[in-house]
Amino acid sequence: MTENNFCISLQDVTKSVDTPDGPLDVVQNISLNVDYREAIVIKGASGSGKTTLLGLMAGLDQISAGEIILLGESLSDRTEEQRSRIRAGKVGFVFQSFQLVQGATALQNVMLPLELGGMENVLEVANISLQQVGLESKKNTLVDHLSGGEQQRVSIARAFAVKPLILFADEPTGNLDAKTGRQVADIMFRLRDQSGTTLVLVTHESELAQRGDRQILIESGRLIDQS
Amino acid sequence: MVSRLPKIQSYWLMLIATVITISIVSASQLITQRISLLLDRQASELLAADLVLVSNHPLDKKYERQAKELGLQVAHTVSFRTAIFVDDSPQLVELKAVDSNYPLRGQLKNSREVTADQINVQQGPETGEIWLDPKLSQLIDSSIALGSSEFEAHWLLTYEPDRGGALFNLAPRILMNLDDLPSTGLIVPGSRVNYRLLFAGEQNQLASFIQWLKPQLSENEKIQDLENARPEMRRALDQTRKFFALAIVLTLVIAMVAIAITARYTASCEAPKVAMLRAFGISQKRLFKFYSWQLAKVWVIAAVIGIGIGWLSQYPLQWALDGWFGQALPQVWVIRPYLVAALVGFVSLAGFCLPFLFIVIQTPPMQVIRHVSSRQSLRRGLLLAGSAIITVFLVLMILMQDSMLAVMTLLLLLIVALVLPLIFALMIKSLLYSSKRNFWLRQYLLSRLNSSTRGALFVMSAFSLALLAILMIAVVKDDLLTSWRTQLPDDIPNYFLFNIPSDEVSEIERFFEQRQIRSSTAYPLVRTRLTHINGNIVNAIDFTDHRATHFATHTFNVSYAENLPDENKIEAGEWLQHNGEPQLSIEQGMANTLLLKIGDILTFSIGSETMEAPVTSIRSVLWENFRPNFYVITNRKLIADLPQTWLMSALIKSDQISDLKQLVSNHPSVTLLDITELMARIRGIVGRASIALEFFFIFALVSAIVVLLASIQTGKKERQMESALLRALSARTSQLYRVNVFEFSLMGLLIGLFAAIFASILGWIISAYFFNIDYHFSPAIWVYSLISATSILTIAGTLVSRKVYNISPMKILRT
Repeated sequence: MTENNFCISLQDVTKSVDTPDGPLDVVQNISLNVDYREAIVIKGASGSGKTTLLGLMAGLDQISAGEIILLGESLSDRTEEQRSRIRAGKVGFVFQSFQLVQGATALQNVMLPLELGGMENVLEVANISLQQVGLESKKNTLVDHLSGGEQQRVSIARAFAVKPLILFADEPTGNLDAKTGRQVADIMFRLRDQSGTTLVLVTHESELAQRGDRQILIESGRLIDQS
Repeated sequence: MVSRLPKIQSYWLMLIATVITISIVSASQLITQRISLLLDRQASELLAADLVLVSNHPLDKKYERQAKELGLQVAHTVSFRTAIFVDDSPQLVELKAVDSNYPLRGQLKNSREVTADQINVQQGPETGEIWLDPKLSQLIDSSIALGSSEFEAHWLLTYEPDRGGALFNLAPRILMNLDDLPSTGLIVPGSRVNYRLLFAGEQNQLASFIQWLKPQLSENEKIQDLENARPEMRRALDQTRKFFALAIVLTLVIAMVAIAITARYTASCEAPKVAMLRAFGISQKRLFKFYSWQLAKVWVIAAVIGIGIGWLSQYPLQWALDGWFGQALPQVWVIRPYLVAALVGFVSLAGFCLPFLFIVIQTPPMQVIRHVSSRQSLRRGLLLAGSAIITVFLVLMILMQDSMLAVMTLLLLLIVALVLPLIFALMIKSLLYSSKRNFWLRQYLLSRLNSSTRGALFVMSAFSLALLAILMIAVVKDDLLTSWRTQLPDDIPNYFLFNIPSDEVSEIERFFEQRQIRSSTAYPLVRTRLTHINGNIVNAIDFTDHRATHFATHTFNVSYAENLPDENKIEAGEWLQHNGEPQLSIEQGMANTLLLKIGDILTFSIGSETMEAPVTSIRSVLWENFRPNFYVITNRKLIADLPQTWLMSALIKSDQISDLKQLVSNHPSVTLLDITELMARIRGIVGRASIALEFFFIFALVSAIVVLLASIQTGKKERQMESALLRALSARTSQLYRVNVFEFSLMGLLIGLFAAIFASILGWIISAYFFNIDYHFSPAIWVYSLISATSILTIAGTLVSRKVYNISPMKILRT
């Protein structure tokens, strides 16, 4: 374990990908620290590398250079299996396209990460989590039959069910209309405030970005500005 | 420019499926033709030719000329009844004069005495000599007068390939050289003579000849083919052909399932591109044109490769079968199999792909771009189902010769195709609702199978259909082989004893009993001629069927029996009541031919006596069982006092031949008929046909493997996404591994279960109604089905999708 007071710490992080024209740095020399309970928003134009950065911070991908420390654990030179163990029970995700298990009910989707992590009282915890997003009445509905907004609420319930220390949210309102998007964002921030979860949010929507404690601007894989 | 639009990414999968379809059709069409031709040729041995022209007058020279011009071989035979003197008594014989080309197919066998070794010979007697039926063995090495000529007889004719007709109605045969016939002076105006012109050659030569011949034939000239030859062979050959047709269709169904699965996969891969292009304003018409052109290219490439593979595949088969068939498979130089294969490929590709393409092009772009899955509308469902039905129907119509079989197969396929997904869905749903306490792992697996976007039901149904087709081929194949083996068991009698005088019957029965030789009941034979039906003279009745005329103009044996003989079945009326009343039991074929019904009064003449009785029952008879069978059976009282001889059959093993010699010397009036050779030939043909059945089974297996790979491949994308999501949710590698292994095992178990159920039901229907054979329930099918489906799916699925475990969870952020 690496001693570090930050929830997430990035030191000169670079991510390169192979292209027909040679290696391309999609994230370049980014250094960044995120405090516990902080809500950080990553902004940037399409293709700027913000989603890649979020993935690297969450340990969903391997960095090419530099170092990332997540919850006191270095992610460098870790296998996918090892990174997965670091995330287990401590990290939640909300994706733009919801990524729910089709053919399963809302309740089952929320139960999934709890059971994967071998937690107890799964059914009770999942029910409470769905209650918190206002979907208790639809807990036994197949997610295929839910609206986009409802599906994203199930996704939020699933993320918060494991009581994560960090929530990574990638364009959580990107697939929703403005009104539904606001409602979903309200729920996400309310739960985050209640639980004190650290939030790393990727968005290109200014209104949503304003709700973060700090905004990071990425351009061509480089950190341009922090405010 | 339309040509600059992106190409079909997953077209190679579709290409493979289409190549396989075309390969299967071209190979199976080609092989079926070649095997069929060989079987026909072997069966032709029973005609001694490929084709025979029969007439009661000398045949015009033009037939022979035309046949020779077309490259056919020609032989002549002339046969008629005459009498010779044996011990100063006249003996009716069937004299047959043959030229040096006879026989064109098969060969003759002769021997020096009844129990001596038989010798294969390529042609009949030399001029000046005759060969005698073993029934006339006492005349060997003597001079025999035939008309005004004398002939030397040093050989017995022990096997003659085209000795047709019922086994027990034969007068002894004498074979002579055709060049000697004029010198006998036996043929005079008014003689009843049977002139036969035999032809043999390649299939196309024969086809051209038949086409030319048919319009030329006069009233008394008839073409004889296998249908008129041995009835013992007819059923087995007919069943073999039907099985070939069924196996080809079932194998093809599997290949078409593969096309359907790959079409669906290709459509799902193309959907985002199509949505994007439509968003850019490219018209549906233009997109449809572009993709139709892509499909046409797939078809052309697949046709070239598929036909090539089909053509090449005949060589390994030829190599494998040559040893079994004892002769090379005949070559077939025709273009039809390839054209049919290309057409089937086109119909399958268009029928299964265009509806998916239509749906993709019709789907609103936003639905695809935003990954919003819409539920299948009724219209889409109907379009897919309707086009699939029409496609399968068209393919069946192209391939099948038997329209009844085609329609029934389509109906059965439809029922299965409709019922299978429904049952799968119900089963999965009921399991889903059985426990809600835990989600991981069982409920998670079931929800994956239940997901409409994943199409697991489609894949499961498709693979079930493939497995079902395999099992059905296996079930029907085994039933056919069992049926044939039952008809020709090793222990059926191989010798018939005729002309047993009434006072020698019990002595012969004792003789067999003492030597532990298995023999049949002794049946009396009374030679009769049918003279009247309901008081009308049969000669005056105008029968259109030549077989009816034969019954009306020839003598045949009537017997009596206390009990209904084995493998006879009463179809109408009641079996003979032994109450003293005259009664007749008539064979069904004879009844149909002579339009007889229960209650009709038949009159027979027996020498100077007459016999009259009503028809009280109509029996079906299994003629191919090589047991004594009779057209007419009556009650004992009616014929007890009439002149009669007796018939028995016996199973005489090779080491009991010396006993046979003793029997013949003790009972010189008894004549023996050895059918060992004939039975061996029929067993041989059945055995070779069964090899061909196994070959089609292998074809079906290969196709099923393609369906399996296509099924797994089509679900790969979804499986990758699910694994990426599970990874993001912190699942361990062992958990990912378990999900995949258990999912494939569960699918395999369900598929195996339903394939076994339906194979048992459909196997029974097909065996009972198409092949008229007994169905044998096979628990082994269930074991094979469950174990093979579960293990193959688990192993193949796990191997093919092993890369899923290494998938980066970043993939989930990129969608």
